[in-house]
Amino acid sequence: MSYQIVVCAGIVPDPLQTLEPVSTPQGPALKNEAMLPAVLDPWAAHALYEANHLAKNMPGSKVYLVSLAPKAKLQQVLMTIAQKVSFELIALDGPSTGFTDSHDVAAALAAAIEAIPGLDKSRLLLFGGWESAARAAGATLSMTGERLGIREQFQGVDSLTVGSDGSFEIRERVEGGKHLVSQCSGAPAVLGWATGNLPEPPNSPQVGMQNMRTVMPALQKAKPAGVAVTQQYASVALPKQQRSTRIVRDVAAAEVARELAQWIRGAH
Amino acid sequence: MDVDIVCAGFGPAAGGFLTTLTRGLPLADGTLPQILCYERADDIGFGVSGVVTKGRGIRASFPDFDPASVPMAAPVRSEKVLYLLDPVGASRRSATLRTADSLLRAAGVPEYEAFELPHIPAFLEKHDGLILSRGQFNHGVGGQVMMSGAAQIWPGMPVAGPLIEGERVVGVQLLDHELQPGMEIRAALTVAADGPVGPVGRQLDEHFGLPEGHEKREWAVGMKMVIDLPESCPLEAGTVLHTFGFPEPEIFGFFYVHPDRVASAGIFVPSWFDNPVRTSYRYLQHYLMHPYLWRYIEGGRLRSWGAKTLNESGRRGEPHLVGDGYARIGEGSGSTNVLTGSGVDEAWTTGVLLGEAVLELLTQSLPFTKENLEAAYVRRRRASWLEEESRTAEKSRDGFHRGVVPGLIGMALAGFSHGRLHIPGAPHEHMPAVADFFSEHLDADKIEAIRVETAAAGKPLHDALMDAWGWPPIPFDGQLLVTQQDALLVGGKVQAAPGYADHVVFKDESLCASCGGQTCIAICSGQALTQGETKPAFDREKCIHCGACMWNCEHGNVEFRAGAGGLHSAEN
Amino acid sequence: METILVLLHTEAGAPVGKAGLEVLEAARGLGGDVAIGLVGADCAAAAASVAGAGRLLAVEGEAFAQPRYATDASAAEALVKAAGAGIVLAPATSRWARCLPGVAQRAAGRIDTHVTGLNDGTLTRWYYRQRIEASLRRAERPWFLLLEAGIGPAYAAAGAAGAAYERVTAEPGSRTEAKGVIAPQSGEQTIKPEAELLFVAGAGWTKKQKDGAVHMDRAAELILGMLKGSGASLGSSKSLVDLSGEGHAVLPFLSHLNQVGQTGSTPRHAKGLATCCHGEEPHVVGWRFIQDRRAVNLDANCGWARGKADVLYVADAFEVMEELNRLLG
Repeated sequence: MSYQIVVCAGIVPDPLQTLEPVSTPQGPALKNEAMLPAVLDPWAAHALYEANHLAKNMPGSKVYLVSLAPKAKLQQVLMTIAQKVSFELIALDGPSTGFTDSHDVAAALAAAIEAIPGLDKSRLLLFGGWESAARAAGATLSMTGERLGIREQFQGVDSLTVGSDGSFEIRERVEGGKHLVSQCSGAPAVLGWATGNLPEPPNSPQVGMQNMRTVMPALQKAKPAGVAVTQQYASVALPKQQRSTRIVRDVAAAEVARELAQWIRGAH
Repeated sequence: MDVDIVCAGFGPAAGGFLTTLTRGLPLADGTLPQILCYERADDIGFGVSGVVTKGRGIRASFPDFDPASVPMAAPVRSEKVLYLLDPVGASRRSATLRTADSLLRAAGVPEYEAFELPHIPAFLEKHDGLILSRGQFNHGVGGQVMMSGAAQIWPGMPVAGPLIEGERVVGVQLLDHELQPGMEIRAALTVAADGPVGPVGRQLDEHFGLPEGHEKREWAVGMKMVIDLPESCPLEAGTVLHTFGFPEPEIFGFFYVHPDRVASAGIFVPSWFDNPVRTSYRYLQHYLMHPYLWRYIEGGRLRSWGAKTLNESGRRGEPHLVGDGYARIGEGSGSTNVLTGSGVDEAWTTGVLLGEAVLELLTQSLPFTKENLEAAYVRRRRASWLEEESRTAEKSRDGFHRGVVPGLIGMALAGFSHGRLHIPGAPHEHMPAVADFFSEHLDADKIEAIRVETAAAGKPLHDALMDAWGWPPIPFDGQLLVTQQDALLVGGKVQAAPGYADHVVFKDESLCASCGGQTCIAICSGQALTQGETKPAFDREKCIHCGACMWNCEHGNVEFRAGAGGLHSAEN
Repeated sequence: METILVLLHTEAGAPVGKAGLEVLEAARGLGGDVAIGLVGADCAAAAASVAGAGRLLAVEGEAFAQPRYATDASAAEALVKAAGAGIVLAPATSRWARCLPGVAQRAAGRIDTHVTGLNDGTLTRWYYRQRIEASLRRAERPWFLLLEAGIGPAYAAAGAAGAAYERVTAEPGSRTEAKGVIAPQSGEQTIKPEAELLFVAGAGWTKKQKDGAVHMDRAAELILGMLKGSGASLGSSKSLVDLSGEGHAVLPFLSHLNQVGQTGSTPRHAKGLATCCHGEEPHVVGWRFIQDRRAVNLDANCGWARGKADVLYVADAFEVMEELNRLLG
C-alpha cells in the first residue's frame, strides 16, 4: 500500500512578529509584509511532518508540497523546511496574505494538484492544517478537497493509524479537549492536521540537498496564480485591548497568594 | 558528505563571495562545482547591522543598484557629526572634557545639549553612500544566489568548526543535534566567513596562530534599535548622525533615517571603555533619551532590536588569510576599517576578491593550495583599496588607550596623514575591579550591600550600580523604552532551536565563583547570562550570539561554542 | 427577500443549545426570511424548541447522527438547496467547522469563519489568529458563515411542542464511521472548558531559578496542586509544550492540547491566571476571551503583561503557588 500525499501549505509571518494591518489599492495587507520573516503555516508544517512520517512507513509513497506564495518569500522559507523532510515542491506564485478568499486559493491549489503528472486519486491523501495563522479554519483545504472530489474529510487531526487492510483510524480534536475517533475505509481522504504528536525534525544537510533538485526548478517555473481580494472590506484593525494594569510589587508571596485565593474563590 | 566548496556563515562577505562566484558559473567548459554555505541563524539576514556605507564594493558588484529596490535602503542625503554633552550629569568625563563642556555651555552653543562639528573629515564622511538594512540587503543577495542554482545557502545549520588534517583544512564539521550527530562536510576549499566570534575563524586562529606582530585585542559591542519614528519627526530619509560624548565619552553613537519614517539608532561600547559596568542596553536607552535625539523619536515605537560584537583590531587583527584548503573573508579576516568605522562594504569586497580568485583557480584547474590561494586571493587583496585604507587605519585608534581626547586626536592624525602618524597606546591588561572603579562614588561597604541586595532579589548588579552612580531610572513607556526582556521579544523573539547543547560554557566554575567583576553578565546583550549560584546561569533562548561574554572575561574562562538560532528579525 | 438558513445539529430528545440559539437570534436580526435546517437522528425535540422562529427543515436518520464529514456535508447541502438559502449560518462547532467550507464549495458559494459579529449584512471576523479584526461584506451568494460562540443574545423560544417540520432527503453514504469520543489523557483531565479559571503555565517554570538550578518536579507538583485545589483548566505557552514534545524532562502532563495562544487555542473562561509567562502569547492572543486576567511574573516592567492583565503581581511564582495551594487546599 502506498500513497500520494499532497500537503497544502501556505506561508505566514512568523507568529512571533508584531502584525499591523494597512490599506493598499489591492485591499488590506500587513505592514512591511515583505520584510517580516515568514514560516510555513504552523499547522500545515505539522501536516508535512506527518506526511513524511507516513510516507516513510509506507514504501512507495510520495510527498508533494503545494504552496501558493510570493516566489521570493517562499524560496526563503523553503531553505529551512527543505532541510527537514523530503518532498517534491509544486509552487504557485501569488499573494500569501490572509485577506484573499479561500475560495480562490482553493481553486488555484486544486488546479495545480490536478496537474501533477501521474496523479492517482485512489491513492491520494490531501494534507494541510486545520487552522491557519493567516485566514481560517481549514476552509481552503476542505474546499480544495471538494474540488478534487474527496468526500471523506477530517479536521483537527492528531493521529492517523493505517490498518493492515488499508483502513484508517483517525483522531480529531473536538470540544472539551477530547478526541473523536473515526474509522475510514481508506484513501482518498482530506486530513486537516492539528499539531499531531511528532517533534519538528532537525535540519539535515542531506535532506536539503536532495530536495534542492526539485525545489529550485519548481520555484523557477512557478506560475502566477490569479488570486485577489474580492471581499468588500469596511475596516481592518487591531483589536482594542489595552487594559489598565494594577501592578502589585514589594508584597510578600504569602500576601499575593492570599489575594489570589480570594479572587479565585470569589464569585465572578 | 563531499562537496567542492563549503562556506561557513552568510554575512556580507559570503554575500560578496557567492554573488561573484556564482555569476562566473558554470565555467566555460560547463563545470558546475558544488557549493554550500551554512548559516547558524534561522534565516539568512538575521544578523544585526543597520549600516551607513560608502558602498563602493557593493556598487561595483551591482552597478545599477537602486536603493528603492531594497526595503529600508536610502541614499545618504545629509550627514552630521555631533558632540553630545551630558544632560544628566552621570557621565564619566575627564577634566579636559568637562572644561570643553563648560566652554560650550558658556558660549550658549548647545540648544539640545549637542555641538555640531562644522566640518566632517573626508576620511569619515559617507556622502554618496547608502543607508542599508544589512538584513534586507543580505536577504535579497541570498535569494539571487540561490535562484542562480549554482550555490545553496542553508540557514539554521550551525558549523561546529573546521576539519583540520595536519596543516590542511579539509572541510567543516556541522554541530551535533541530539537527534543526529553533526555531519562532516568535506570540501576542496573551506571559506571561513563566520565573523569575529564564529567558531571556524576562531579555531583556525587557534590552530594556525596569527601572523607575526598581529593580535586581536580590540572589540566592541554594537547595539541598536530600529524605531518607527513619530509623525512629528521632520528628519528625511537619508539623514545620518554620528555622535560621541554621551552616554559616556568612550561610547560612539549613530542615527540613520531609513525610508518610510524608520530609523536605526545605536551605540558602540568598546573594549577600551574600562568600566566593568558595561551595560550596553541601559546605555543605549540613555543615549536615545539625549535631548538631541529624543526630540525626534519621542512618541516613536521600538520595532526591533539587536546587537553584535565587532572585531575592532582592523588590519592588526588580520589572520593568515589563506592556507592549504582554506581562505578567510569578512570581519574575521581583519577587514574592518577602524578609522572610518566601516566594515560591511569592506567585508563584501573581501568576498568579491575571493570569488574572483576562486574562479581563476577553477578555470585553470589549479588546486586550492596555500600558494595558489596566495597568488590568486591574497595578491588581489593586497592590491585593493581595502589594503591601502586599512593600513592608514591600522594604528589610528591606539590613542584611546590613553583617553578619549588623545584617542580622537590620534584618529585625526592618522586620518589626515594617511597612517603615517598616530598616538600610540597599549591596551589595559585588566578591567578595574568594581570596588576600585566606583571608589570615588561609593565605598566598598555600600557596593557590597548592593551586591547582596541584588543577588537576593535576582536582579542585575550592574543596573543597581548605575543607579547608585547617578544614572536616572529609565521611564519605561512600553513603546520605545521597554525592558531588555521585552526588547528580546519585539520584532521577532530571539530563538534557540531545540536539540542543541548550551554554547556558552564556563570552563572553571571556581574562577567564576571568585570573580568580583562578572563583566560577562553586565555586558551580555540579551540578558542571557544572569547571576547563578557559583557560575553565571546561561539561558540559550535569550542568547543572540554576540560573543561579548567571551572577550569580556578577563580570565578567558568563557568558551563560546557554535550554537543555533539567535536574533529572529531581518530588519536589522 | 433573501433566505437565511440556520444549520443546527440536534441531539435526540434535546432542545437546541445555547450556541445554536445565539446563531438563530443573529439570523433573525438580518431581516430576511429565516429557515432552520436541523440535522440528526430525530429532530423533533429540537424543532419544538425553536418552533415559530422560521421555516423548519430537517434531515433525519441514524446516518446523520454521526459527526462525520460526508453525511454532515450532504445534509447541509440538501438543506441549503431545499431552503434556497442566500445566507447560511452555523455555530462554529467542530462538526460544522469540519464540513461547512466543503458545503460552500459544492454550492459554489463563499465562506467566512471566525465570525464574531453580524450587523446589517456586514460581518466582523478575525484574521491572523485573533490578532486582526476585520468587517466586510460580500456580493457573492450563497454566503456561509461560521459564528463563534457568544456572538449575541440567544433566541428565546416561544413555540409549542410538536412543531411540524419538512423532511429533506440527503445522501446517507459515507466510508467513515464515528467510533466514539475519548479523553486524550489518562489520569486527571487538565482541560476543563467549563471551569471558571484558566491557569496558564509559562516557560519560566522550566527555567533555572534563583539558585541556578531547574526544579521541574517541584514545578509539576505545584501546578497539579493548583489544578486540584482550584478546579482550573490548564493552559500553557507554546514554548513549554514544545519542550514537552521533544523528549525534554518537562511537565509530563502537558500536551499540545493545552497550548493557548497564537498557535494554540483561545479558550473562554471568566478568569485567567498566567504564571511565569514573559512575552508569551497568552497575554496577546490566548487571553482574548478571558474576562478577568491576572499574572504572576518576576518583571514589573513586563510590557506583555502590562496593558493586557488586570493585575500583575511581581513575585516568585514558586513561592506564591506554594502558599496558594495551601490556602486552596
